[in-house]
Order: sequence, then C-alpha cells, then structure tokens
Amino acid sequence: MEKSNGKTGVVSRRTFLKGVTGAGLTGAAAALTGCKSTGKPAGGTGWTPQQYNVPENWPVQVRGRVPIDPENPSIVRDDKKCILCGQCIEACSKVQSVQGYYELPIKDDITCVNCGQCTLWCPTAAISERDDVDRVIAALNDKNLHVVVQTAPATRVAVGEEFGLPPGSIIEGKMVAALKKMGFDGVFDTNFTADLTIMEEGTELVARVKNALSGGHGRGEEGHHAPTALPQFTSCSPGWVKFCEYFYPDLLEHMSTCKSPQQMLGALAKTYYAKKKGIDPAKMVSVSIMPCTAKKFEAARPEMNSAGVKNGNPKMMDVDYALTTRELARMIKLFRIDFTALKDRQYDNIMGEGTGAAVIFGNTGGVMEAAIRSGYFLLTGQNPPELLYNLEPVRGLQGVKKAALNVPGVGELRVAIAHGLGNARVLLDQLREDKKNHREPRFHFIEFMSCPGGCIGGGGQPRTALPPSNAVRQARLDSLYTMDAKMYKKRLSHENKEVQQIYAEFLGKPNSKLAHELLHTTYTDRGSHLTAKKKA
Amino acid sequence: MIRINSNITFRMTGFRKVLMFFSAMFFVLVAYRFAVGLSITNLSDAWPWGLWTVIDVKLGIALAAGGFTTAGIYYVLGIKKIESVVKPALLTAWLGYCMVALGLLVDLGRWYGFWHPIVSWGHHSVMFELYMCVLLYTVVLTAEFAPIFFDGIGFKRTAKFFVRLTGFLVIAGIVLSTMHQSSLGSMYVLMAGRLDRLWWTMALPILYFSSAVAVGPAVVTCESALSGKAYKHEWDNEAMPFLAKWSGYVLSFYFVARIVDLIVRDQFTRLFTTFDAQTFMCLLELIIGSVLPLLFFWSYNVSGKFMDKRMAVRNAIFIILGVVLNRTNVVITGMWKSAGTSYFPSLQEILITVGLTSFGILIYLFIAENFGVFTPHGHGAEDEDVSVRSGVGAGGVPTT
Amino acid sequence: MSKAILVDVTKCYGCGACTVACKLWNGKKYDDAKKPTVGENAQLADINWTVVSKHRVADASGKTVWRFAKKQCLHCKEPACASSCLVGALRKTEGGPVVYYPDLCVGCRYCMIACPFGIPKYEWDKSFPEVSKCQMCSGRLAKNEAPACVSVCPNSAMKFGDSEQILKDARAAIASDKRYVKHIYGEKEAGGTAWMYISDQPFDKLGFKATVKNRPLPEYTWKIINKIPAALVVWSGILTGVYMITKRRDAVKSSKNSEGKGGKP
Repeated sequence: MEKSNGKTGVVSRRTFLKGVTGAGLTGAAAALTGCKSTGKPAGGTGWTPQQYNVPENWPVQVRGRVPIDPENPSIVRDDKKCILCGQCIEACSKVQSVQGYYELPIKDDITCVNCGQCTLWCPTAAISERDDVDRVIAALNDKNLHVVVQTAPATRVAVGEEFGLPPGSIIEGKMVAALKKMGFDGVFDTNFTADLTIMEEGTELVARVKNALSGGHGRGEEGHHAPTALPQFTSCSPGWVKFCEYFYPDLLEHMSTCKSPQQMLGALAKTYYAKKKGIDPAKMVSVSIMPCTAKKFEAARPEMNSAGVKNGNPKMMDVDYALTTRELARMIKLFRIDFTALKDRQYDNIMGEGTGAAVIFGNTGGVMEAAIRSGYFLLTGQNPPELLYNLEPVRGLQGVKKAALNVPGVGELRVAIAHGLGNARVLLDQLREDKKNHREPRFHFIEFMSCPGGCIGGGGQPRTALPPSNAVRQARLDSLYTMDAKMYKKRLSHENKEVQQIYAEFLGKPNSKLAHELLHTTYTDRGSHLTAKKKA
Repeated sequence: MIRINSNITFRMTGFRKVLMFFSAMFFVLVAYRFAVGLSITNLSDAWPWGLWTVIDVKLGIALAAGGFTTAGIYYVLGIKKIESVVKPALLTAWLGYCMVALGLLVDLGRWYGFWHPIVSWGHHSVMFELYMCVLLYTVVLTAEFAPIFFDGIGFKRTAKFFVRLTGFLVIAGIVLSTMHQSSLGSMYVLMAGRLDRLWWTMALPILYFSSAVAVGPAVVTCESALSGKAYKHEWDNEAMPFLAKWSGYVLSFYFVARIVDLIVRDQFTRLFTTFDAQTFMCLLELIIGSVLPLLFFWSYNVSGKFMDKRMAVRNAIFIILGVVLNRTNVVITGMWKSAGTSYFPSLQEILITVGLTSFGILIYLFIAENFGVFTPHGHGAEDEDVSVRSGVGAGGVPTT
Repeated sequence: MSKAILVDVTKCYGCGACTVACKLWNGKKYDDAKKPTVGENAQLADINWTVVSKHRVADASGKTVWRFAKKQCLHCKEPACASSCLVGALRKTEGGPVVYYPDLCVGCRYCMIACPFGIPKYEWDKSFPEVSKCQMCSGRLAKNEAPACVSVCPNSAMKFGDSEQILKDARAAIASDKRYVKHIYGEKEAGGTAWMYISDQPFDKLGFKATVKNRPLPEYTWKIINKIPAALVVWSGILTGVYMITKRRDAVKSSKNSEGKGGKP
C-alpha cells in the first residue's frame, strides 16, 4: 500500500530486485548442475536359474526348454510355473531322442510325438496334459447322453498312488467302482480289446510270416493287399506310431495295421455295443482312461472315425475324450469320492472281460508275451507251453530286449522289444541298414513302446521322483505280472469268451472285412514336416 | 450476480451456469484421473497422443498466439491503432497458457514429476525446448499481464514497475513464442516415416510458426466480437481491419509455403489423384483454413473494399478452423495409418477437454468483468483516472 | 566396448524360453489371454518386454514354413527415443543398452511416438505408470553376463558379444550359407541397432518394419535444434532494433506534439 511519503511500505524495490535475482540465480544454478540424479534404471535384478547366470559360459546340455505348439492336443505348458530348468529337454532329447533330432530351421510343424515324458520330468508341473475333465463332467451331467468309459491295463496299478497308496497298488475293482459312482453308463475294460488286438495282430503276423516262408506277395482276405514286410511292429503306442511317421516313414510298411486297443473299443462301442443295447450312437460319448497323453492325439486322428463312417456320420469320432490317470484321480477328487474306502466292482459285460495276457499289455514286453502266447496257438493250433506264461527274456527294464523261441512246425520265432524312443532307434537304424544291404530280417516281430517301462511309465501316469524312478516302474510292472499270474482266471487272449462272442456275433473272424473296417487303420507319412538328422 | 466485495462481482447467466457445471465436472474427473491414471482415456500403445495433445496442448498454444503477435505489432512495430485489443489479447494468451499447463498436467503420466525438466535437461529434445520456452513465456506473460492485475486490485506502484519492463518482456515474449510455436511443429519432424507425408516436412517449424502468427489476430478478432456483445464495447474499426489484413498477408505466406513444400516433396498431385481419409482431410484443411479466407481476403484487398465486422469475423473463423484441422491432422489423421488401429477419445477425455475450456472461459469472463480489460466502456470505467496516473493508458495498456 | 546381439531366425523353434527368462529377471506378470508372449498373436506390451511372434511364410518354392522371430527393443546406436526425451529419462549407455530411468520420467510419451519401430509401451492401467521396454538386462551386462533371454536359448539362436565381432559374424554367416537373405536387419536401419537379425525368409514377412530408413532419426531434429542459438540471437537483435526505432519515432512524435501544444509531456 502507498504511504504518504511516496515510499512503498512493505518492500523496497531494491530488496525486491535482490530477492528475485538471488532466487533466479539459485534456480539457474540448480538447473545447470542438473542436480536431479537419474535414480535407479528400469529393468530387473530378478532371478534366472543358476545355470544361466554364468558369464558367457553356460552348461550346453541343460538349457532352455522344448517347443510346445499351443495347438498340441495332448500337452500344455503354464509359463508362470516354468523355471527354465531344462529337464524337459533332457527327457525329450536324451531319453526320447525327439528334440534335437531334426534340422533347424523347422518347416511347418513342431515335432512332438505327444508322449508326455516331459510332463513327468517337469519339476513344477508347468508342462502337463491338456485338461479334458470338465468336458467329460459336462457329458456326464447331460441326461441325454450315454457315456461309456474304458480303462487301460496300466491305470489299475497306478491310480491308487494319487490317493496315498504305495506304487503298484492293485486297485482295479475300486477304479471300476469309482467310475460307476461318477455316473458312467458303461464301464468297460480295454483289456477286452487288448485280447482282440492279439487276435487281429496275431493273425496279421501269421500271415506275414507265412508269406515270408512261401516267399511271395500275399493276397489277403477279400482283396486286401495284405502287409508282408517283416519284422512286424506293434502299433498300440501312439507316441511310437507318430515317432515312426516322423523319423522312419520308410519303415511304415512294417507297422501292424491294427489299431490300438483304445481305438478298437471306441469303434466297437458305437457299433457292436450300441446295436446290441439299442442305443443311438449319436447320443454316445466314448471316454477312455489311459496312462498316456498321446492317446488324446490318437483319438483325434482324422482316420479314427470308423464307427462314424459305419454309422453314416464321418464327424463322429470313435473315442471322444481320452483322460490320463492323473485326470481320473482329479475327477474322483472333484466328485469327493473316498477312493480307498470303495468296495470292488466288476466291469460291464460284452466288453468287460480281459485275460492275464491282456493285463500285461501295460508292461514293456507284455504285448510281446501276450502275442507270443496266442501266436503260438494260431501257428500250431496248440496252447503254449509253461515257459510262455513267464517269458523272462522279454520282461524287465532293459532298454532293448531280444528273444528267440522255437515254434514246432514253424521254426524259430525271433522277437525284440524296445521301450523309450531312444532305444527304438537302435533297432530301427539297424533295420534300415539291413534293408539297404538286402539282409534277411533279424526279427519277425518287434514290440515298440514310446515310454520307458512301457505304458506303466506313460506320460499320463502319476508323477513320482525326478527323474522318474525305476523303482516305481518296477513296482508297477511287478503288479501287472502278479495280476496275470494270480488274479486272472484266463491267461490266453484267444480264450476270452467275450472276444469269441464278438467274432461269432459280429466280426466274423480276425482280419475279416468288418474287422478291417472297424479295427484296422492307415498311417501318415510325416517325413516331409521335418528334416530328420542323427544327433551330432 | 455474485458479489464478492464492493469491487468484485460475477454476473450469472444461463450460459455461465453451463460453464460452471462443466468446470465442476472437470475437477471431479481430474481428481479421478489423478487417482486411477490414464486408463480412463482411449489412449493406447498405438495411440499414445490423442485428444488432449491436440486440443489442450497444441491448439491451446496456437490460439494463444494472439498475445505475442498483438504485443509485437503494438510495441515493436509501433502500430498504435490496435491498442484496444492488446489487453484482451494478453489476457487470452495468459489464460490460454495457464489452461495449457493444467491440461498438460492432466495428460502427463507421471504428472507429479512435471518439474523434472528444469533440473534434468534433455537438451537434444525438441520437447525440452518447448517446455522451457513455454515455462519462461508463461512467466513473461504473467509479468506482462501484471500491470493490469495490480492496477485492478489497486497496487499502483507495483503495476508501474512492471510497466517499465514492457519492452524487454515483449521482445522476450516474441522470441520465446517463435521458438515454441515452431517447436510444436519441429516436434513432429522426428516422426519421419510415421507421419503421413502430406504433413511431414523439415519445414514444419516454419509452417507452425507462420500459422500461429496468422491465427493469433484471428482469435483476437473473434474474441473481440464475442465480448463486444457481452460488455457492450464497440467494434474497433481501426484495429480490426488491420488485424484482418495482417492475418491475410501472413496466411498468404503460409499457404504459399505449404503448397511449395507439397510440390517439392511430390505430395501435391497426390491430393488430387488419391482418394483416402488423409488426402480428404488435407484438402479440407487447406480449403477451409487457407483457400477460402484467402479468396475472400484478396478479393477485398484487390478491389480496395473495406472489410467489415461480419467479414472479418467470418475470415477469422475460417483461419481458426484451418489451424484446428491442421493440428488435428498432424496428431491424428496423419498418424492413423502408422498406428494400425483406430482411435476416438473416450467420454472422460472429451468431458475433461470441454471442462478445461469451460473453466478457462469462466476465468476469462471473471477477469474481464472485474479487471478493466475492456475500458472505457466496461465495468472498470470508474477507474479510468487512476489508470492514467499509474502510467496505464486509456485502453488499460501500459504506455512506455 | 559396446555390446550387440545377433539373432539367427533359422535357429528358433518358438519354445519361448527367452520370454520366460525375461519375465523372471524383470519380474513381469503374465496375461496369456490378452497379451500372449509366443505365437501369431504375440505382441510387445507393458508386461511383455520380449515376444516371439510366429509367422507362416510362403518360402521361395511356395511351400508354407513356420518362422519364429524374437522381438524386443533394438537398442539403436542413435536412439530416437533418447533424443526425444525432454528429461533424459532414456539414455544410450556405453555398454549398448538404451536404459530407462523412471525416476526422471514425466510421462509425456514422446518417446513412444518417436521410435520408428514403435517399441516403447506404456503402463496405461497404473496410477504411477512407467514406459516399458527391454532394458537389455543392463544389470547383467554390468556383471559381464549375457542378457537373460540370450543365456537360456536351447538352440543358441542368439549370439552375444562386442558389436564389431557380432557384425563380422553376421556377415560371415550370410556369406557362407546361401539360404540366408542377403541382409542383416539392424545393421543400417535407423542408423544401426545393437540387436541384429539374419534370416532365410524376407524380414517384412516376419513382422519387421521394412520401411525404416537408414538415417538416424535424431539427425532430423538436430538439423533444426542446432540452429536455435543463432536464431535466438539474430531474432532478438532484429526485434530489439525495430523496437528501438519505434520508440525513437514515438518519442520524436510526442515531443513534436507537446511542442505544438505547449503542454507538459
């Protein structure tokens, strides 16, 4: 405010100017010195697994992870759980010889045989099977649908592990009881079609052997061009089948044309069973419980719609959902069933009977032993001797096994077994070499199983130690052999009454036209999707 | 009417009530925005700049160019006949820059760090230059507007002090304005390859500066017409035609520069051979913002006719629209193709812009009503003698 | 010595280990539904500092092949983002990474528009948002370790080393194997970047921006900025001169008037 003497009262101009200049200079100084420090830079100080923190020098073997196509029907991965430990690479590359056995760049496919060994080796279960439980429960809840289920041999000595029971606990009856309690309309045993597979595949093998003995091309039943190449490969392991399609498509002529037991039962459920029980196949949902993740891939193979084709609806698949042993356990827990307290129940008839030969399908060497038992009968008309009920050379965890037996009137039958795809390559490379050199086949019949230990060590089985333990595998193997020896009344596939019934009433005879339509399949050459290489 | 004390009043009308409503909504929305962040906008990684950059920042600064242009014409060139518009222009400019600062604060993601560029210099950045120049220019404007403010509240000596600084302030203001008006254009030079070539050019600073110098007086013209009605002050038949002529000549320069630039960079024929959103908007901008006003201007100029209020205002509106379209085209239309997705502001974005503008208008009206902006015909007529004694001229403009 | 990384697209099979390593190291969240890190819909985002995008490309013979291309900030030698930042929150460091300092940032987002590759992303959902982009693990580089993504690749698709050596290796690879496209992406684009790519398929089919010019973008701006000091001086001088003339003229006029009127000035 003004004062009468003309001086401004509060602040003189000089002081004001001094103040402003001072403030200005201070501000300028602050600005010019850039006194604002940068603070911390963005970016982490976080964590990567130990082996990746070494400067420019990392362990070459265990690094990174396997590629998993988001559209893979069997395997999914949750990145949030992945710790980049690289164990999936160990399994896929060292044990299964898939990762690393194709040239880079890739073509138009992620080479994966869906075996699921990576799901067993992954310590955090970041890699797991694709979950179909919700869809099965939805089918069960739909009153209009008739839901049938089949269980593989290997599941009945493993599912108990998910409920605290020791490895190899035999809980077949409880498993059936649980399935019935959950509301499945028909509970069948894959053992039934395992026996059927023996009949079909055994007949096929006999035909190949006879052709080889007579030295020519055979004409099969009713105009089929019968396969003739020896050795015959078993075809019940879909991971193995895809492996052969990728890496050894030139040897596909050796693959048995038989479907796997899962797919055979699926086809028969929507034809034989549906007809017999008067059920509309279009209202049926076919579920399987398998120790295997590749079964999800197999069930979705486009050619696995034989029942659908027969019924006039090619979109109908023989098996709609394949659940793993782990998924079954999850489902049982979801239904709040006290598994260990269940009372044993029996499988449903017309497709529920199995023999000891069928139950050992879950073991490495089991298919071979079952096939030899009935093959002996098919070749000689006689039941096999005592030795073939406990064929030691084909049993056990050794990677590649060989055996030879004398079949009266036929000669020496030479067989081999490989489990784990790395071991399969041994026999396959040898066969390729033999063929190139026009050598006589060393073997008549080879059993290939994708998973170490056979199906009991399948990618869908309960997780155990890391890496998966041989002790657990052995316990499961022993239990299936025990079931064969002690629990099943019949031990020969051709003595299965329901199998005899289905031939009599429906299929006619092994490798008949109807059998070929429903129970046999074709394979796909996948060799063009990759450039295979021998690992350096 | 709201009466705060014997000197401070605020007349209430329906329009002002609407403005107050939008201003209130602005503050509520801004509080919410400060709390939750920018998710209330439709901005995205493909569109980091949108409505607020166009209107609150670029347009706000361009339209506030009236301050330095009128000050320059009056003080530096000494053309006294525009005296009546200098004070309103300065007020508009000062308010405009304050609103720009507020709008910018709302747009900045880490707004609480707004002072960082003062102490951490990114001297390679055009935006740094923009920031510093806008900051300093707002200080200059505050100092330029200070005599009117201090005079209005009765601090005559302080007012007199600021009046003595006028020459320095005006020149500083023009230099700073030149730098930042052109920087608004230079800023987009870095977007070579992303900004559509109809707008991208190394001449962006020149084009932005000249369009600002042309639009400043245009805004002053419109504002004069509007507030003339409200405060019953006459259309100044000396000042207005001069401003209209000034805009006309500067716009001619801009238009020629723009067309030559398009031709030299092979974009001119594209305007007539390709038909897409970009060429359409560019033609719209050129026709509305340059061709039409220039046609009118030169026809009057050549025939020696006198541009009356209606025509001057009409031309001014075209020029302003042209600048609005140009800024929008550079930020939005021209970046559309390289963004890959579409953008339209969200309701909150629009309401905040509308609210900010409403708030600015309200403050303008308040100050105009109470601080003798439009003397001698306005509210502050009684203060005329006092104004003259303190060295503030009849129009409220400092005389030096 | 500045570091660089060479990415060989032919060696990538899309496992995404690099994306997981990046998330682990930098503590970023996952959003598989809206912001996938691998695949045809993979996009860089505020939480995705690196992604592996999948492309179905028709190769020279017309057959479809799958290619996976890792995307992240290319750490330009003359970054447009750093030059655009008004507070210096983005800086090119000696080791090679273009590092972001959130404490300085004001959130103006000029860097996002400036980057010719469109790399910097923003944390739009946060109340205190930061600009988000690969930092080339500057903390790891300081300890002489490779960036996290590079260190976990199972196929050694990425090579880390001194820029000169990396460029030499890239040239050697292209020269020695005729399946590679005769171009190193990042050698010249935007003036050269620390991350360089070689591929057997054209880069524009792999999601790389093929229209980025070789001239570093800051050069455009610098051409204008470096004229400012001179312009300042000259323009001030002109204005001051004219102002003085005007004042003089007014003074003369008013003294004439006052002489004429005989009154007080």
